[in-house]
Amino acid sequence: MKPAEKEEESVYKRVVLKNASPYQYMKICLVLEDESTRLSAVELKLFIISGLRNLYGEVGAALNFDLLKYDEDTLTAFLRVTSRGLVKLWSSLTLLGSYQNQACAFRVLQVSSFLLSLTGNSRDLQLD
Amino acid sequence: MSVDVSPTPQSLLVCDRSSFLDQKNRLNSQVEQLRFNYKVSLLLPECGSAPSHLDSVLNSFSSFCVIRNLPIYELLDRHFLESAVYHGSVYGLSYGTRMDEDNCVALMPNGRLSLSLDKDSYELLGLQGKPSRFNHRTRIRFVVSIDLTDSNMAPGGQGYLRLLTGLKSRLQLQTDFLLSHHPGGIPSLQPLLSRFEWSEHKPKVVHRSLTDLACPVLTSDQWSCDPHSFLEWLGAVDADISSENSSSTFLSSWVCPEPQRPVSQALSVSVCGLLLPQDLHRLTQALRGYLEQPRLESWASMTVHGFVDSVVSWGENEHRVHRGGHNFYTLLMFHNHMYHLHLASEAKDSCPP
Repeated sequence: MKPAEKEEESVYKRVVLKNASPYQYMKICLVLEDESTRLSAVELKLFIISGLRNLYGEVGAALNFDLLKYDEDTLTAFLRVTSRGLVKLWSSLTLLGSYQNQACAFRVLQVSSFLLSLTGNSRDLQLD
Repeated sequence: MSVDVSPTPQSLLVCDRSSFLDQKNRLNSQVEQLRFNYKVSLLLPECGSAPSHLDSVLNSFSSFCVIRNLPIYELLDRHFLESAVYHGSVYGLSYGTRMDEDNCVALMPNGRLSLSLDKDSYELLGLQGKPSRFNHRTRIRFVVSIDLTDSNMAPGGQGYLRLLTGLKSRLQLQTDFLLSHHPGGIPSLQPLLSRFEWSEHKPKVVHRSLTDLACPVLTSDQWSCDPHSFLEWLGAVDADISSENSSSTFLSSWVCPEPQRPVSQALSVSVCGLLLPQDLHRLTQALRGYLEQPRLESWASMTVHGFVDSVVSWGENEHRVHRGGHNFYTLLMFHNHMYHLHLASEAKDSCPP
């Protein structure tokens, strides 16, 4: 995390930031056995916290993450988590296999150090 | 026993601050090195609708085409080489293929054909390449890069025939292909298109009006806002994420970075497709013209995303998709001709220029 700076003249400045991103962003989608089931944003966050608690105990459940955006129709969400918490959050999402006695799975669609990347993914390009 | 499950994920962000008036500014050479661009999005604060000259640039992006099931050896067709590759710049990229799973192909504007192949395909092709920089322990991926403008690769030459035989008889690689040409456009590609199923596409423009936006205070003479916070805010605006949170909100504690000020209205415009660097250069010039008019807010931003599954990222450097595969840049321009350029890529990729 060392910023390398070089200055050629007063107006020009270049800074290189390596591994300095404080947060990681995830685009996830919940797939449920019964497709008609709907979750509110609060229910989804509580569900993810329960997954963290099951895998990492109370300390894991205290991990700070943000539900930045959630679409109830597609069950797709944007999450923000501190860089150090990414592996914990990702692993507990992977191991969450049941919601209210029905099988479920989280699909991690995209992970990035930049929120901007989640809005410009060329894999979304659909040409007829 | 506790296990450490918190390694720091890797990212690379290069921030440049310079002026358009500085004769040594490298902006054009820097942005031209991201060749395969998927999306550009603009954010214009205190703007209700785009001025006509900006609108005309946004609506005049070059068309591109998609060829279905193109056998890659057809890119070596003599007529295609003569009408498109030797004259002007061809931008070609395999479409619907994934860098972390499939064989990918790119035809670059300098006439270089680059193939990223798995081990079996590489051995079938039988041409010399290099192991991918991103192989871990075992060599499972290889990159073959050939300059089609080289004298050895002239139709009928020894190198040409070896490549043609490899692609036609042995590897038989076939994929959907995005193709564009500068300055000739679609007509220059006709020798190839006429023999296949193809469709022409115009980059898709989407306008979005925003109201009552919390906006960080940005000044040209220094990085008044931390680059990561600024890019996060820009991403939040792009994704339409609400910033009306507080530290105690259960769902999200994300807020606009401080110091901030309210902006009554803003315009967000995005263009998606295979976008050529030349069109993006015209857009930059149009934005400079836009900023010369007296306005309430003195800046505008332009973000350009590269294709995730492009064989190359910046310049001819090999690209990979480890987690996100992101490669993008954000140009923040001010009315006094200063600009801040943020270039981002995955950490193991080469450093942006």
